[in-house]
Amino acid sequence: MTTISFVPVALTRRQAALVEAAAARIFPTTDTPGATEAGVVNYVDRALAEAYPGLLSLYRSGCRALAGESKRRYGVDFLKATPDQQDDLLTAFEAGRVDGFPKAKEFFGTLRDHTMEGVLGEPAYGGNRDLVGWRIVGFPGHQYGYEEAYINKVVDLEPKAVDRPYPTKEAWNA
Amino acid sequence: MPNNPKAVDVVIVGIGAVGGIMAKQLASAGLEVVGLERGPMAEFEDYASKDTIRSITRRNFDERVRHEPISVRQREGAPSAKRFTSTPVNAVGGGLAIWTGSATRFMPDDFRVDSNEMQAGVADKARADLTGYEIRDWPISYDDLEPYYERFEWEMGVSGDAEANPFAGPRKKGYPLPPLRQGARNELFGDACARLGYHAHPTPNGILSEAYQPPAPYDTRIQERPACVYCGQCNNYGCHVQAKLSSAWTSVPVAFETGNFDLRTNSKVFRIETGPDGRATGVSYFDPDGNVVEQRAKVVIVASYIYEASRLLLLSGKGKRGLANSSGQVGRRITAHGDVRYTGIFDDYIVNGFIGPNSGMRMDDFNGNNFDHAGVGFIRGGTIGTSGGGTPLERYDAIPPGWPRWGEAYKEYLAKYYTRQADVTSHPETLPHRENYIDLDPRFKDEWGIPLPRTTFAFHQNEHKMWAFLGEIEQQILREAGASEVWGFPTNRASRWAGGTVMGDDASDSVVNGYCQSHDVDNLFVVGASVFPTMTGYAATPTVCALAYRTSEYILGASGLF
Ligand SMILES: Cc1cc2nc3c(=O)[nH]c(=O)nc-3n(C[C@H](O)[C@H](O)[C@H](O)COP(=O)(O)OP(=O)(O)OC[C@H]3O[C@@H](n4cnc5c(N)ncnc54)[C@H](O)[C@@H]3O)c2cc1C
Ligand code: SF4
Repeated sequence: MTTISFVPVALTRRQAALVEAAAARIFPTTDTPGATEAGVVNYVDRALAEAYPGLLSLYRSGCRALAGESKRRYGVDFLKATPDQQDDLLTAFEAGRVDGFPKAKEFFGTLRDHTMEGVLGEPAYGGNRDLVGWRIVGFPGHQYGYEEAYINKVVDLEPKAVDRPYPTKEAWNA
Repeated sequence: MPNNPKAVDVVIVGIGAVGGIMAKQLASAGLEVVGLERGPMAEFEDYASKDTIRSITRRNFDERVRHEPISVRQREGAPSAKRFTSTPVNAVGGGLAIWTGSATRFMPDDFRVDSNEMQAGVADKARADLTGYEIRDWPISYDDLEPYYERFEWEMGVSGDAEANPFAGPRKKGYPLPPLRQGARNELFGDACARLGYHAHPTPNGILSEAYQPPAPYDTRIQERPACVYCGQCNNYGCHVQAKLSSAWTSVPVAFETGNFDLRTNSKVFRIETGPDGRATGVSYFDPDGNVVEQRAKVVIVASYIYEASRLLLLSGKGKRGLANSSGQVGRRITAHGDVRYTGIFDDYIVNGFIGPNSGMRMDDFNGNNFDHAGVGFIRGGTIGTSGGGTPLERYDAIPPGWPRWGEAYKEYLAKYYTRQADVTSHPETLPHRENYIDLDPRFKDEWGIPLPRTTFAFHQNEHKMWAFLGEIEQQILREAGASEVWGFPTNRASRWAGGTVMGDDASDSVVNGYCQSHDVDNLFVVGASVFPTMTGYAATPTVCALAYRTSEYILGASGLF
């Protein structure tokens, strides 16, 4: 079960825990880090506070439906459901098959997009902690440039995130 | 700010690609030029940002586009909806701030679709149904533009191989710079095309392959800029080394240097003013504080991109029809490319699509009138090439149909295939159709209370047939390149707009003449892709810039304007 280790600003702690648990199924932790380690819930909470306040009500109703549907189907809270049960619930949301919650599909689609933004976006927005998302997929992030074309070759550069661009390589890499 | 600043020679509405060049050309000749740009000055941090959340995910939240929605609907009678569009980008430099850089001249035949295809029987042989389309030749030819294409390429710096594309028009001079370094996706594309007998070539790019400053006889006042470093965050991003051309670091600084150019940013023009004789007397705009200011000028140049070109003419003038619209053609004959994109994944080839340049290789074997159209059911075609957009936030949805979209298997998919995928895409030409037009939205207004430009736009039968055809070729190339899965589909996503203030010789059937000069109002010029009578299967920038040079020269030589 998840415990939220930060103070959310847009979501309640309960909602944040639900979002974190659902995101962890969308981009799970395996032998490599997943949504949890990337800090997706951090990203989502900040995004809802700063960029997408209009989506807050979708999250509220989505979290309620997620918890309600879990109780109805399995008699347990979503946070206590097994990973397989959580996956089945999310599959139902993805397909829009949740009685009494017509926005199930929209909620799932939004949560999936935001999860991936939190995994693959800039750490400055709260997710992709330690650049775990970029490491997993093999994106070296904000490189000043590439000195070779890496044709059919793994790019073995340490990933990097810069908060602002710099016109020279020295400043960029400083 | 004074409410009626002193009259000047020229006022230019919009300092993007076109406005920058015209400001430089006209101010250099000694004319007093005021540039009114609705966006801010280019700030390096904004322009060159490599922030993917900001530039890709939240682009519609961006300050640069937030204030300027348009409205769209698919057909007459349908309700319109508000949309944001990043083109033009509202800042000095316009779309060039974040463009991809592909910079191909149109082909000689592109200027004569009516005579070459309609009159000469190609359309009949193709068994194309062209009901509803409004197809006219351009009043100017490739030869008319050739010297100005050259000036654009040599002043702004275009990298390419003049010998490589057998379908390109004749040229007096090659490109000033060799092609950009080619990456893996270009190698895949180029090799596959070679095996299939298609003529792949490096896309001419408005990106410097080597450090460059224009030599004489071109404008040597333009500063030297360094070569591209292939960061790959290019299409939709600014360039941190200024290798990708933008007015902000080519034409505009030179215009300033003349001392004759007064640039007013955050100044939004909403009307072209006219006198009792019907000639233009200047423009009215909202200054940064929201005050209405009238700037009088002897010549008015509208360089504000498609939506705003038609919108401004429709907002101006005395009658209901708007200004410069005795033909009734303002807003008509708009076109935009559809999106025919296929993606392939490669099991044993690492593509690293995040490395630049974004637009690497092209082939024109199925563009324009370059191939036998017998029986294909459509006329024209489009350039086909590799495409950019390689950051993970642009690729996490690139998944073969039926494959998992989340969960463990999806994570494995991304981990393996994010670096092993490539797109092939085309710029399928859309012909002007009588049901497609821009007018003023009767319902939606912008923050200043001005009606939004409303596009009524849908793709029609010629496009749909063409997309299916081009899509087959794209899949063939990806399979030949060795992709283990190929997927995609044409979408109605429209981009690369043209039309609305079309040029022609016949004043009853067009808005401007071959010099982008209004037929009705001789001191009013509209310059940009809005004047294209047909669009072609390429992007517009070299051609709009060539028109900017040519129109500047015409203005300087014309009598009775000043
Ligand atoms: C992401 C992207 C990729 C692109 N890739 C390519 C490519 O690969 N190849 C290519 O050829 N082209 C490409 N383009 C298109 C290219 O940017 C345009 O062709 C070019 O910028 C057009 O020049 P313009 O001067 O007509 O318009 P713009 O450069 O768009 O400039 C118009 C200017 O007018 C200003 N303006 C508009 N209305 C008003 C008003 N009422 N008052 C004051 N100012 C106003 C705008 O703010 C803007 O600065 C791309 C564009 C984008 C956005
Ligand atoms: S790929 Fe080259 S031109 Fe494009 S932004 Fe990077 S350095 Fe600039």
